[in-house]
Amino acid sequence: MKDRFRKNRKKNSQRNYNKLNLFQAPKFQFKRKCPLTGKNAPKVDYKNIKLLKRYISENGKILPSRITSVSQRKQRELSQSIKRARILALI
Amino acid sequence: MNLYEHTIIVKQSHSKNQIEDLKTKYSKIIEKNEGEIVKIDDWGLLNLSYKINNNKKGSYIHFKLKGNGLTVSELEKNEKIDKNLLRFLTVKVKEFDMNSNYFNQETSNVKESQEKNK
Repeated sequence: MKDRFRKNRKKNSQRNYNKLNLFQAPKFQFKRKCPLTGKNAPKVDYKNIKLLKRYISENGKILPSRITSVSQRKQRELSQSIKRARILALI
Repeated sequence: MNLYEHTIIVKQSHSKNQIEDLKTKYSKIIEKNEGEIVKIDDWGLLNLSYKINNNKKGSYIHFKLKGNGLTVSELEKNEKIDKNLLRFLTVKVKEFDMNSNYFNQETSNVKESQEKNK
């Protein structure tokens, strides 16, 4: 019994391997999720400088969302709050 | 009634008593003009990220207030004239988050880093 089971397993694994070759592997997701949406996501606020500093370059420019993969809606909030922090000379 | 967050930057040369005076002065102005103060935060003396009128540091005072357009316009009218202030910013918010305390932690971090540098 055990031997049969093993054989079946081997076959199954081989099949799966073939499938992976036919279709693109789902392991690698090229699109990252937005880090500011969903549960436990930090709130975007002009007082939260630690968070804002992650999304500006060394020269203080706002990074484009295509690099940081922030969703459109959150990018709007981010840029607004970064500009507010600039007025207060926090960034 | 709307909810506003209002921050002012006082010049670095001012002493604690003068800052207290400014606090009471502006809270009086708010209360005169149909406003209501929810909370006053003192962020302390912080480094400015760029010079404002040759000032490198400024002490920040943060008001959380209820009020209407008249309150804010009256406040800002008085602050524009005031020579003790460097900047002010008013932000309309939907609700106050009283839990998060960004600046008290930060100031302690700054102090620690300064001590380390010494």
